[in-house]
Amino acid sequence: MKLNIRIDGHAGQGPNALAKVLGSVLAKQGYYVFISRDYGSYIRGGHNANVLTLSDSQIMSNDLEADIAIFLEKNIEIKEPRKLKDNCRIIDSAVEKNMYFAGRLVKMLGLDFRILENELKKLKNFDVNLRDAKKGYADAKTEFALRSLKNKLEFMDGGVGIAEGAIASGLDVYFAYPMTPATSVMGELAERQLENNHIVIELEGEIAAINAAIGSAITGAKAMTGSSGGGFDLMTEALSFIGQAEVPLVIYLAQRVGPGTGAATYTEQADLNLALNAGHGEFPRIVLAPGDPLECQELTSQAFYFSQKYRVPALILSDKHLAESLYTIKNKPVITKSQKCISLKRFNSYNHDESGTAADNAPAIAKSAESRIKKAEEIKKEARKFKPFKLYGKSGSKNLVLFWGSTKGAVLDACKDIDVKALQILYMEPFPEEIKSELLKAKNLLIVENNSTSQLAQLIASKTCIHINKENKILKYNGRPFLTDELRMEIEKRIR
Amino acid sequence: MPDISTNAKPTWCPGCFNFQILAGVKNALSRKISTHNAKKEDFALVSGIGCHAKIFDYINLNGVNTLHGRVLPTCLGIKVGNPNLEVIGFSGDGDAYAEGMEHLIHAARYNADIKYIVHNNQVFALTVGQPTPTTELGYKDKTNPLGVKLMPINPIKMMLNAGASFVARVFADAKQVEWVLEEALEHKGFAFIEVIQPCIIFHPDIGVKEKTYMLQENRHFKENLGDALKKAEEFDYNTINKIPLGIFYQKERETFEEKWPQLKSLIGRKASWKDIKR
Ligand SMILES: Cc1ncc(C[n+]2csc(CCOP(=O)(O)OP(=O)(O)O)c2C)c(N)n1
Repeated sequence: MKLNIRIDGHAGQGPNALAKVLGSVLAKQGYYVFISRDYGSYIRGGHNANVLTLSDSQIMSNDLEADIAIFLEKNIEIKEPRKLKDNCRIIDSAVEKNMYFAGRLVKMLGLDFRILENELKKLKNFDVNLRDAKKGYADAKTEFALRSLKNKLEFMDGGVGIAEGAIASGLDVYFAYPMTPATSVMGELAERQLENNHIVIELEGEIAAINAAIGSAITGAKAMTGSSGGGFDLMTEALSFIGQAEVPLVIYLAQRVGPGTGAATYTEQADLNLALNAGHGEFPRIVLAPGDPLECQELTSQAFYFSQKYRVPALILSDKHLAESLYTIKNKPVITKSQKCISLKRFNSYNHDESGTAADNAPAIAKSAESRIKKAEEIKKEARKFKPFKLYGKSGSKNLVLFWGSTKGAVLDACKDIDVKALQILYMEPFPEEIKSELLKAKNLLIVENNSTSQLAQLIASKTCIHINKENKILKYNGRPFLTDELRMEIEKRIR
Repeated sequence: MPDISTNAKPTWCPGCFNFQILAGVKNALSRKISTHNAKKEDFALVSGIGCHAKIFDYINLNGVNTLHGRVLPTCLGIKVGNPNLEVIGFSGDGDAYAEGMEHLIHAARYNADIKYIVHNNQVFALTVGQPTPTTELGYKDKTNPLGVKLMPINPIKMMLNAGASFVARVFADAKQVEWVLEEALEHKGFAFIEVIQPCIIFHPDIGVKEKTYMLQENRHFKENLGDALKKAEEFDYNTINKIPLGIFYQKERETFEEKWPQLKSLIGRKASWKDIKR
């Protein structure tokens, strides 16, 4: 059983709040929910779409066509390529407010009104919302009888997952400058700073943010910063400085459409090469790419662990689709605990000796380089203890689909019940070269990426000398995430 | 007094005025350690990139020699990481007024308890003599053979307008530096100290020192912003007429770290984030 529900309206009419409330109600009833948001870069007005997919089994992506459409105003035009089914039920009104529709949908799906009421209590304007919801409930007929399921599910987006992971890892300070889609982590951490006793500070720019984070990190605090595209670009000199000075820092990089200012509110996986190569000189780093909010929590804790233990920068690579989509999660995250390994001493951005004093003689320069190489090897060895890659699907299949990051939801949903095995890479650096044997076992390699040059394929080629055929690269680079059925067709065309 | 020297041999030019600044800073800090019963571990020094920045190698205290232009955000981060540290930053005029300008303006506004010393030699010395934002009109070097065409900025005026709670200028003379740093260490908040430092190779003293006079010997009322601004106008960094030195302005107000309950509580408990076990 699966339903796709569109919720469209103007930014400012509250379509996001409506979608989130409905998602929470469904999650409370034990249904798996996935909500993606499609919106432009404006504050009021403009079209804003949420697509909510619900199912009685695990799902983490939307389909192309909607079964139900909620329009917060009349005459909504659906942006291609998504469509309405021929028999799509349309609920619209030119006068009613967002929570009216929540009441209607709850009744239509045959859900318990009290659960909705409880969710409304968590929002502002409870009285008005409740009145609207009651009216909607009264106006509707039950058309689907969704009985409640036993699943106990968490409901969160990737941004909250990163913030949860950071808090669980003992975050002390977060410095940042706002930039979509990285800001949601800053916002979540900021809201919880007093309750959890950490601190979130907005500074005059990304260069200030990362350098301040370095300042805090050398005093022994667990420090983190985050940005997207151009903001991260501004941080790269400091990233290299960290490589020289050996400072533990966690950096959140939320990808959006580039190059340049690109498209601020749309998704892309085009900064893998950037994350791997940003900063001058040669130094070890960690680059982790979670694919859902559970992995966001787990990998964030691993980022803290590695950065503290080895005094290296650890990057967490997410994107707009992961950061801002809402997922239901069944399992509890496995959090890797980490110590605070640094005490204030003498640090240096120059090549330096043990006392932290600048040193440019030949042996001192060679010694530093060798110690960085050794460190990279130790990190690589220890990374194998975690899960640097994961396998899914039919274990004996000759068709292997490779992916990373936020395409996880669509890939796993699309691959259900077809003859493929899927391999997700979570550690982009240190790269799990041991996947080579899996790649050699497969007869047919496919890759799925939200970019135009297949950066994961480039990485795999450089690490394993295995190349993926051009026609087997399923690439989407229009700022939109993959949809389940669309991707399934693309994969089916290519399996043997 | 405790010895806070390192084993590193200074690589400044013989006779460089940075030696004067180093001596003044070391005296002030050693005195603070011996008489105020501070510990070496209570200090964090941050320097930028340039000739000035080598001072980090010659003082044996904790801290970081950071990137060019990034002294102030690094200082702020250290202060947030451990608000009980005495944080002192060192920049050149290139570091402070060119590459690091965006941070300087905001540091004055934030008013974190940071002492900031700008070694102003009116050139990029380490990169061999190019003009900075405080170099006078007409100055020529290999990269600017047509001569500087833009008026220099007036950092004292700028800092006063930006809200710095302590604004001072001294000459690169060990005694003056020691005096002003001791005053600044007593000040709670952002202390901006500019040291006029001739560069004996690229920008020698062309009669600057002679034209200086001490504000504090001339009945200057340092709590008055209007008076401070008037005094700041006396030297525009281009023509040498009268050069007032001393503390132009000083007025304490709530510091950055006092505004956050999390940091206030660390101050109260004499703790840092490192001490917080989660
Ligand atoms: C980002 C960056 N740009 C340029 C440089 C090259 N550089 C090194 S020192 C310096 C200027 C230093 O001038 P100043 O800060 O006035 O210090 P001084 O050498 O005069 O003491 C420059 C531009 C650098 N190290 N980093």
